[in-house]
Amino acid sequence: MRNRLRELRAARRWSQADLADRCGVSRQAINAIETERYDPSLPLAFTIADVFGRTIEEIFLPDRADPGQS
Amino acid sequence: MEKQAQGDQVARAARRAVLVDGLPVVVLGWVALALGSDPEQSAAQQAWWIAATCVFALAMAWVLVRAFRRADEYLRKIQLESMAVAFASVLVALQVAAVLDSAGVVELHQVTQPILIGGMAIWHVTADLRTRFNR
Repeated sequence: MRNRLRELRAARRWSQADLADRCGVSRQAINAIETERYDPSLPLAFTIADVFGRTIEEIFLPDRADPGQS
Repeated sequence: MEKQAQGDQVARAARRAVLVDGLPVVVLGWVALALGSDPEQSAAQQAWWIAATCVFALAMAWVLVRAFRRADEYLRKIQLESMAVAFASVLVALQVAAVLDSAGVVELHQVTQPILIGGMAIWHVTADLRTRFNR
């Protein structure tokens, strides 16, 4: 699963530690999600979406979707 | 940058907390091992050994539960996967030791503890390497 975490975080000038604090997880977890080595659980995905004020679909994209179409 | 350093400090503090919890338990494990190493024991010595082993097992469970509660879902997943790798290694090693025991090459009761200790080492090294590489 792809995601726009790094892009959204950079737009707000947050470090991985900032985002981790806001989501209540470790920085390693944020790093692993950003580098697509780990797919978050649904509750964590909702928390991340809440932190960015977006919906889950706007942040996490399935592998099959063409980024140009989303 | 400052925040990142702060985050690293938090991670180091968490690791230190596990060490502070775990170190007495490891010492207790060695004590239990030492108490059980004498093959000719009196009933009182055996009672001490069994008591120390029971306390060690309970303390180990307590440390693990605390560590899992402190961890987030990603770190919990890494720990569980590392435990699975270690568990599989211990199973294979015990199977090999059992075959060697039946062939008369080694005595199973002599290699059981080293195999368990090796399994714990594999668990911790695997978990540590995985979290280090994902920084």
